[in-house]
Amino acid sequence: MELNEIIKPENLVYTKPELMNDNPMHYCPGCSHGVIHKLIAEVIAEMGMEEKTIGVSPVGCAVFAYNYLDIDWEEAAHGRAPAIATAIKRLNPEKMVFTYQGDGDLAAIGTAETIHAANRGENIVIVFVNNAIYGMTGGQMAPTTLEGMPTATCPYGRNIALDGYPLKIGDLLAQLEGTCLVTRQSVQTAAAVRKAKKMLRKAFENSMAGKGTSVVEFVSTCSSGWKMTPEKANTWMEENMFPFYPLGDLKNKE
Amino acid sequence: MAEDIKLMKGNEAIAHAAIRYGADGYFGYPITPQSEILETLMAEMPWETTGMVVLQAESEVAAINMVYGGAGTGKRVMTSSSSPGISLKQEGISYLAGAELPCLIVNVMRGGPGLGTIQPSQADYFQTVKGGGHGDYRLITLVPSSVQEMADFVGLGFDLAFKYNNPAIILADGIIGQMMEKVVMPPFRPRKTEAEIIAECPWAAQGKLKNRKANIITSLELDPAKMEENNIRFQAKYRKIEENEVRYEEFHCDDAEYLLVAFGSSARICQKVVEIARGEGIKLGLLRPITLWPFPTKAIAAYADKVKGMLSVELNAGQMVEDIRLAVNGKIKVEHFGRLGGIVFTPDEVLAALKEKLF
Repeated sequence: MELNEIIKPENLVYTKPELMNDNPMHYCPGCSHGVIHKLIAEVIAEMGMEEKTIGVSPVGCAVFAYNYLDIDWEEAAHGRAPAIATAIKRLNPEKMVFTYQGDGDLAAIGTAETIHAANRGENIVIVFVNNAIYGMTGGQMAPTTLEGMPTATCPYGRNIALDGYPLKIGDLLAQLEGTCLVTRQSVQTAAAVRKAKKMLRKAFENSMAGKGTSVVEFVSTCSSGWKMTPEKANTWMEENMFPFYPLGDLKNKE
Repeated sequence: MAEDIKLMKGNEAIAHAAIRYGADGYFGYPITPQSEILETLMAEMPWETTGMVVLQAESEVAAINMVYGGAGTGKRVMTSSSSPGISLKQEGISYLAGAELPCLIVNVMRGGPGLGTIQPSQADYFQTVKGGGHGDYRLITLVPSSVQEMADFVGLGFDLAFKYNNPAIILADGIIGQMMEKVVMPPFRPRKTEAEIIAECPWAAQGKLKNRKANIITSLELDPAKMEENNIRFQAKYRKIEENEVRYEEFHCDDAEYLLVAFGSSARICQKVVEIARGEGIKLGLLRPITLWPFPTKAIAAYADKVKGMLSVELNAGQMVEDIRLAVNGKIKVEHFGRLGGIVFTPDEVLAALKEKLF
């Protein structure tokens, strides 16, 4: 095909989502955040909810999520996003409300807020990025760090006797009556991205249908924190993260 | 129309006033001696009448963050607690101040430090007016000394918070929260409509409309030059509040030779002290700060030229006395008298302390 042919609008097969702006992203090469941001942008636009969506960004690598998705945001204190989202949704029930949280934010400092928001069945979406490490602060141990996995604060690998077990918070949340959907997804392949998007859309639809709390966990990579190439990180995730955090629906209440 | 007068506790007055003011939401966690605020709201079920949201949070930390969430959408939201719970809220209060969000916080103080006692105290003065949370910020601090003022300051607190986009706090104590008095109830006002909120709070995260930029509620700014600009803006706002919003009450101050300075329940006791002293021929007056921040510095400084000495009467080990001394700047003697740990002084004790320390 000629170049002039290729660039015709009818031959366009992919474009940047309208809700993604042009700010340069601070995420590292190979990081899962960029793809997950894109999926959220696409789902909001496809649902026609651009003017009714309020996001709550966390403390962690995604603290600047508000710089990339062109919607209204509230930036939360570390771990408190589900409490903030609770109030936004209760006071504005016609709005679509989601939190975007990492493993430290959601499963360590914000455990109480996460569990209680989910247990109340708040009609919000919790997007949970689990890369088993604290990215923003430079690669320290997370509640989800795997046994034996080295980080800056467990340089010889997570030692269960010292640090306890990696927390499968998704499984915990699936036990709660207030959650209607708890699903574990990933975005390391095109197929995985498509599947994840479908579940993300379901989660947002649940929140507007008043079905309760939906949690979409993304088992993710952190090539910088893991000190691997993006490619190696994907393989390492498949070989080490997936056996401990298996993908699929932990709960999907119809 | 006849006045709507009711007999109730200070805490109950806060709850009823919030509903009548048209508050959009209350988020709280039980703690003595203020649990009646949440209990009253739950019993009144305002979500069925005005549409006000009331929620018992899982912690004080969650409650103050719910306030942040709601305030960020331009709603009139509040929380209440007592001293140990207010300590837990400090992180959220600092974020609210940093994001310039209007909201109302109520502290019905009890004795500390630590878990302390459930008895009344005024030992959170420093925490409230000197910071409490991290960073350079100020809270508009209203101090009620009657159940009537508990009711009235809900509306005043919200109004000032929205006037300046800054958190306001009602700093009550266990006596004011628990005692019953008659209250002229404030009138019912409708809650703000969505259109009114958008007009009043164009910064609110309400969902990004096509005709404007995204609204982002945050206190984060990694560029130090911009962060300094933000702080300079906050400070300019605080100077404006100091200029415009000082409130205090004078009691027998015209011919006073000595001055008591007291707030909240202590000021009620000090009214009696003034009456007893005047009966003995002592020309004593009382200055009652109604706002602790902004502090009535100028009024107190003016009295330093008129009276022989001042006694700061507080249910703590001497906190407001520091601000009085700064105002007086060494011109006259300023002493402190207080009881600690939940003990409340009698008028006779205060008068004896005045004579001992200033005569």
